[in-house]
Amino acid sequence: MTDTLAEHADPELSSGEPLIEMKDVGKTYGAIRALKGINLTVRAGEVTCVLGDNGAGKSTLIKIMAGLHPHNEGTMKVDGKEVSFSSPRESLDHGIATVYQDLAVVSLMEVWRNFFLGSELTSGKGPFATLRIADMKRIADEELRKMGVVVKDINQPIGTLSGGQRQCVAIARAVYFGARVLILDEPTAALGVKQSGVVLKYTAAARDAGLGVVFITHNPHHAYLVGNHFVILKLGQAVLDKKRADVGLDELTRQMAGGDELTELSHELQK
Amino acid sequence: MTPTRTRKSLTVAAGMAMAAALALSACSSGGAPSTSSTAGSGGGGAGDNSGYTFAMVTHETPGDTFWDKIKAGAQQAAKNNGITLKYSNDPDPGKQATLIQNAVDSKVDGIATTLATPDALAGAVKSANDAGIPVVAFNSGIDQYQQVGAKMYFGSDENLAGTTAGKRIASAGGKKALCVIQASGSVALEARCAGVKAGLPATENIQVNGADDPSVVSALQAKLAQDSSIDYIVTLGAPIALDALKAMDAAGSKAKLVTFDLNVDAAQAIKDKKIEFSIDQQPYVQGYLAIQSLYLNKKNGNDIGGGKAVLTGPSFVDSSNIDQILPFAKNNTR
Amino acid sequence: MSQTTKTPPSAPAEASNRVTLGWSNRLLARPEVGALVAAIVIFIFFLIVAPAFRSPASFFTVLYQSSTIGIVAVAVGMLMIGGEFDLSAGVIVTTAGLVNAMFCYQLGINLIVGAVLSLVFSLVIGFLNGYLVVRTGIPSFLITLGTFFVLQGANLGVTKLVTGSVSTPNINQMQGYSTLDAIFASSFKIGTVTVEITVLWWFLFVALSAWILQRTRIGNWIYAVGGNADSARAVGVPVKAVKIGLFMTVSFLGWFVGMHTLYKFDTLQAGNGIGNEFLYIIAAVVGGTLLTGGFGNAIGVAIGAFIFGMTSLCIVYAGWDPNWFRAFLGVMLLLAVMVNLYVKRLSTARKVG
Repeated sequence: MTDTLAEHADPELSSGEPLIEMKDVGKTYGAIRALKGINLTVRAGEVTCVLGDNGAGKSTLIKIMAGLHPHNEGTMKVDGKEVSFSSPRESLDHGIATVYQDLAVVSLMEVWRNFFLGSELTSGKGPFATLRIADMKRIADEELRKMGVVVKDINQPIGTLSGGQRQCVAIARAVYFGARVLILDEPTAALGVKQSGVVLKYTAAARDAGLGVVFITHNPHHAYLVGNHFVILKLGQAVLDKKRADVGLDELTRQMAGGDELTELSHELQK
Repeated sequence: MTPTRTRKSLTVAAGMAMAAALALSACSSGGAPSTSSTAGSGGGGAGDNSGYTFAMVTHETPGDTFWDKIKAGAQQAAKNNGITLKYSNDPDPGKQATLIQNAVDSKVDGIATTLATPDALAGAVKSANDAGIPVVAFNSGIDQYQQVGAKMYFGSDENLAGTTAGKRIASAGGKKALCVIQASGSVALEARCAGVKAGLPATENIQVNGADDPSVVSALQAKLAQDSSIDYIVTLGAPIALDALKAMDAAGSKAKLVTFDLNVDAAQAIKDKKIEFSIDQQPYVQGYLAIQSLYLNKKNGNDIGGGKAVLTGPSFVDSSNIDQILPFAKNNTR
Repeated sequence: MSQTTKTPPSAPAEASNRVTLGWSNRLLARPEVGALVAAIVIFIFFLIVAPAFRSPASFFTVLYQSSTIGIVAVAVGMLMIGGEFDLSAGVIVTTAGLVNAMFCYQLGINLIVGAVLSLVFSLVIGFLNGYLVVRTGIPSFLITLGTFFVLQGANLGVTKLVTGSVSTPNINQMQGYSTLDAIFASSFKIGTVTVEITVLWWFLFVALSAWILQRTRIGNWIYAVGGNADSARAVGVPVKAVKIGLFMTVSFLGWFVGMHTLYKFDTLQAGNGIGNEFLYIIAAVVGGTLLTGGFGNAIGVAIGAFIFGMTSLCIVYAGWDPNWFRAFLGVMLLLAVMVNLYVKRLSTARKVG
């Protein structure tokens, strides 16, 4: 079933090709510096994990890529062309889809409406174009089944699904609509072990289909299960930037827990 | 369009002094039938230049044409006597009391107020008396004005007006009347209907939302369908009378219509014999006399009414005298 | 690429530990069902206690009463589904009529020109409401409360300034009157029954709204914007444009009813319309619209307006003291809100066996 993810993925994606390149990217909100000197490359067929504590600058980084806030320092290139997004629509048009932790879906709306939200199938053009409801229901059901998400009834409000399933629908939706870069914002934060497993399998499937995945988390264990490249942010700056081959889970965990500061603290406490 | 510009010269002549009237005559030159000018058109003498400042405080809910006439009368009296008139209003009794207190604090020469809620206003009137400011009451509070401390009263006796109307309906052969109350919880409106009932025992009340014309029409339409024995409808305000005409039309009712108060369209309807008669409490007179009496009191120590309320109504307007009154209604003074 | 995950996510196992919604639950989860049941109960109740209600003529009077509230309620319902409020919806009806009447009367212009001008004016007010809400992020409750007071004051102040009175002059002798009267305020007979044209307009607007909400892309967006504006924005829905459009829809239908009132009564009292904004909201809520947005539909709102029209008149048909009407309305509203709460729990709660 991973094959069906690949089915929708852009066939021109070749593994290792850089999709997003950030060079010295920074962001200030008035006098407050949220991000500084970030160098990050998102490659096709790789999972780039961005780790960091609360307030480390993870959300700012996502917002720049997702088009919610433009950056104001450095350069960001998508497919080799320099860009600065001013709306989520622009980012989507460049094939960058973002799945947010809490706001992935509209819980009172039916599963199929959620699946097609913002990219509805219509006969005709313009906002008043008629929806092709039967097609949308059929496709949503088929696609979700192919991707291994089985819902009892495609007409039920998506709020009745489990948290893991909701994330999966959101990911499946992004892939179906031709995302080339998938940004996952804390996809496992609110989930139990089993539900997290489902989402991680999905993340891996997207990677194997050739997509570039940005996986934002504060859980180094989850990151290490799927990641190819790890960046740890602290106070708006990158404090670690290593490939999987160069770093172990222990170091990731130690860095996340506080790194050298923690070592110092432990010395102090032991005195 | 029917341009009726016959009164234009009058408007220009009488209204030169008033900016409002000026603005109006300029506007109506566009070709619309000219309607009304404000207070100024009635009289227009220069009068005394007394320099007094009087405050008028009412419980007016903004948006009722009735109060325009009170203000028109008061403004005319003020103009005639060189008085500065300060008008303020609030339907909330507590806020009306504050407005009276404001007038006291700003040391006006006299206060005219309505006493729709005498108990709530008694304190403010007392503080005016303590400050040596004469207070006269008008429009409402006929039973309590002396007790509260007002020197004089100008208005109609709502109950008496209702009773007179009820009797007149009964003598015209009316069997059952429907009294339409357009605002809930108003003592004056309830008193009118109670008066009608005293004159014609088979009277029933109905409550409608006067702020929404379509709902008034459909409620009356429903009532007429429910009770076909109704042969008279009594409305308590001129705009409601016009709604009642729509409802009677839609329900195919043969009932006759009687209303309190007047406006241009109601006056026209009386002329067209769609409305039997109107019970007019003459708001223009109330406003005029309230200010005039304060002036006479200050200037000459006069007291009007011989210790009793001065009644401005009920004055009946029907087909016998409508021709005389219609122009005044168009003038916004009747 | 040291890791390969070729095993498909095993979701069917997960699906098995959810319970399916039962037939009755699923029916209750439709927004209009509660209102429909209530409407039928009230209808039968009044057929029994109010003999005067048992005639087609009475039924159409009820429909007329419902339509004057229901037309604006259609738009207010859509706006509430989109997650916003409009407290200025009651006064804008009067504003629209006043603009038309006074502009034409004072300048002697054909009424049709004034009606168009009034439409533009109303749409601008709707746009401003929407623009201020999306631009400032201040709750629409507060923004439109401001508009409400501004319009209420301006209605009285400007009318008094222009006409010297607080009501507009009679416009039934002016050019264009007969055309507009036919469009907005005419009625026709079917047998003994008088059908007001607003009833037909109401049905049309309800049908249009139902179609837009259920069958078009913009409808999908309205639900999404009200259900979760942030996630709607993230998938590319133009949230701000949708909201501004909804506010303009409210002012458009407000204008429509304003035209009806003006051409039916020929004059307007400048203080009218206040308080009706709550009736529109009540109709929408009784019809199953969620106060927090994202849930509801046009048929439900129409039923809500019908319940309002029916109770307000049937109390009269029954010969009861109409003073009780408000109390009755309050009870209806409370019941509706409770049903809504139950429905929301039902549809958002995770069903785990």
